[in-house]
Amino acid sequence: MKYAIEAKNLNVNYGKTSILWDVTFRVPQGKLVGIIGPNGAGKSTLLKAALGLVKPLSGKISILDLPAKEVKTKVAYVPQRKSVDWDFPITAKEVVLMGRYGRLGLFGRLRKADRVAALEALELVGMAPFAHRQISQLSGGQQQRLFIARALVQNADIFLLDEPFAGVDLATEKEIMAILRRQKEAGKTIFIVHHDLPSVEEYFDWVLLLNTRLLGCGPLKEVFSRENLCRAFGKSQLLFDEAAALSAKSVSGIL
Amino acid sequence: MSISFWEFFIHPVLRAPMWGCILMCLASSLIGVPIFLKKRSLLSESLSHAAYPGVIIGVSLFALLFPSGEEWVSIAVLIGAFISSLLGLKAIEWLEQKGKARSDAALSFVLSVFFGLGIVAASAMQSTLPVWHKQTQMLLFGQAATMSDLHIAIYGAMALLVSAFLFLTFRPLQASLFDRNYSISANLPVALLEKILFWLLLISLIVGIRSVGVVLMSGMVIAPVVAARQFSEKLQTVFILSGFFGALSGLLGNYISVIGSISLSLTLPTGPMIVLAASSIAVLSLLFAPKRGLVFRMLRVYAFRLRCLEENLLKAIWKKETAAFSDLKKDHQVSSMALKYALYRMKKEGWLIDQNKSFSLTDDGLQKGASLVRLHRLWELYLAEKLGVQGEHIHNTAEEMEHILTPEIEARLTDLLSDPTTDPHSQPIPKRRAR
Repeated sequence: MKYAIEAKNLNVNYGKTSILWDVTFRVPQGKLVGIIGPNGAGKSTLLKAALGLVKPLSGKISILDLPAKEVKTKVAYVPQRKSVDWDFPITAKEVVLMGRYGRLGLFGRLRKADRVAALEALELVGMAPFAHRQISQLSGGQQQRLFIARALVQNADIFLLDEPFAGVDLATEKEIMAILRRQKEAGKTIFIVHHDLPSVEEYFDWVLLLNTRLLGCGPLKEVFSRENLCRAFGKSQLLFDEAAALSAKSVSGIL
Repeated sequence: MSISFWEFFIHPVLRAPMWGCILMCLASSLIGVPIFLKKRSLLSESLSHAAYPGVIIGVSLFALLFPSGEEWVSIAVLIGAFISSLLGLKAIEWLEQKGKARSDAALSFVLSVFFGLGIVAASAMQSTLPVWHKQTQMLLFGQAATMSDLHIAIYGAMALLVSAFLFLTFRPLQASLFDRNYSISANLPVALLEKILFWLLLISLIVGIRSVGVVLMSGMVIAPVVAARQFSEKLQTVFILSGFFGALSGLLGNYISVIGSISLSLTLPTGPMIVLAASSIAVLSLLFAPKRGLVFRMLRVYAFRLRCLEENLLKAIWKKETAAFSDLKKDHQVSSMALKYALYRMKKEGWLIDQNKSFSLTDDGLQKGASLVRLHRLWELYLAEKLGVQGEHIHNTAEEMEHILTPEIEARLTDLLSDPTTDPHSQPIPKRRAR
């Protein structure tokens, strides 16, 4: 069976700062995966590397055994809500329809089936009444639901969600979680970059613990332990940061 | 001598500048929409200025090689402008990516360095090739009057090319402008689209130089879309309006310039007139567009303040049952005029009864007062209980929020707080109105 995501000795740098350092893991299909780690741990970068949005310095990352370029229609990406301009002249329905553009290519016209799928997805996330609203008139939670609907119309096998619960009300969070669980039950694999530690045990069955290095990747019970969390969030990390900074300086010839 | 308006479009001498300007402005105002939405407006400014040294050097080389080929000099202008704009674009990209310069710094740097080079080259040319120098100076601010029917064909083709590109790739273009990373992840050819976009911008700028000039060309790219964005939240409509405003500016600018020189014997250069027309449309739109325009936004702010005052008065009278004008004046920091007007309106709208300057509420007014107090106290409770906010701050934000909370948010607050009956100051929260 193919792995949902597999990384081998993945290194990603931004300038001279190491964002991901020698990350190696495998996640099987059909899991609800929480990507957990402190701020700046490289969680979003991991998703972007998998999608081919950032180039790794070295190493490999693949989705369903394929490099990013070859799997794109099978992967639905939900970027951070803050990453786009919500004053852009576009309606809610048009945002959801974007989920079908990848298949249609540069000159393809929308078909009836695409419009029906978009309306159904809007219905599913409870946004049907707002289909023709301009997106700046939506609340944060509604904007996030829209992004989820856009991912759903892609009919993808793998979902990559970057902090879908940031700045979102609790009711929306629970509803989105319920939708994602149903997707998982239908055999999809879902990766969620997540901040809130207390809800990890409730939400996920697989955990990827990250702080520049990989600190654990496996079933919830095995990885989500106090000891591992201390390693991810605790002070012992400082020593690693110092050593990494030292190494970067040596490599670039400053020391 | 007087010319009828329609003659501008058919007269053998007048029609070329007229159609030329309209079509050129149509093309540049359409390509301006994606550039503006990508927040790259300054790019067109830098690229049009970067064309200048290329024009000077191109014409100089042409003059040295073909001293008698004056009618073909516009080819040298186009090629020179194109090469140096392209160099400008590459310089900007290099500075941003390899030099890690901030985008605005890179753009301004390229603009000033290239334009400066152009001016140096031009002054060297003034003494050595004085006749040709005059030709290049006209390109600073453009010259429409000497256009020929060939220009109609070129600008027409340009406008058609831009429109066709925008029409055929509308949806992927919209997606990649709105959410670039997502579009890449969804397999849309974002890099290709962006490349075509920049090439079209470059070509629009360069052919536009002939009629509007290096200095003002970018105004023609950006001003129409600024105006159009004021009127619509739909990208299709923004495109259509922008094109319309652009074409209209071309028409007006050329018309005013020609009429000015014929009837009033004024020298009104076409290029600046066109940009002036476009800017006037943009300024008027910024002021008077119904939804986003400044004037109507101000009016809405006043309307909102008036509503707040009315609701505060309503609440005050609700708490006291009856109130005299002097009491209300004392408790609310507003002019007597505003207070009188607010009370008059409340009476007219059926919330208020006025008995010899003693004010009390109608049944509807009582209900409305209760629901305002309810919103105020619900919000206070929410802040205190769910967000842990303490003290004076609670009351102040509730004063504001009671005017803003929608029935939908009220319902959610009610659920969240499990339909409470008292607020943090142990005041009763009025029941929700039965509907």
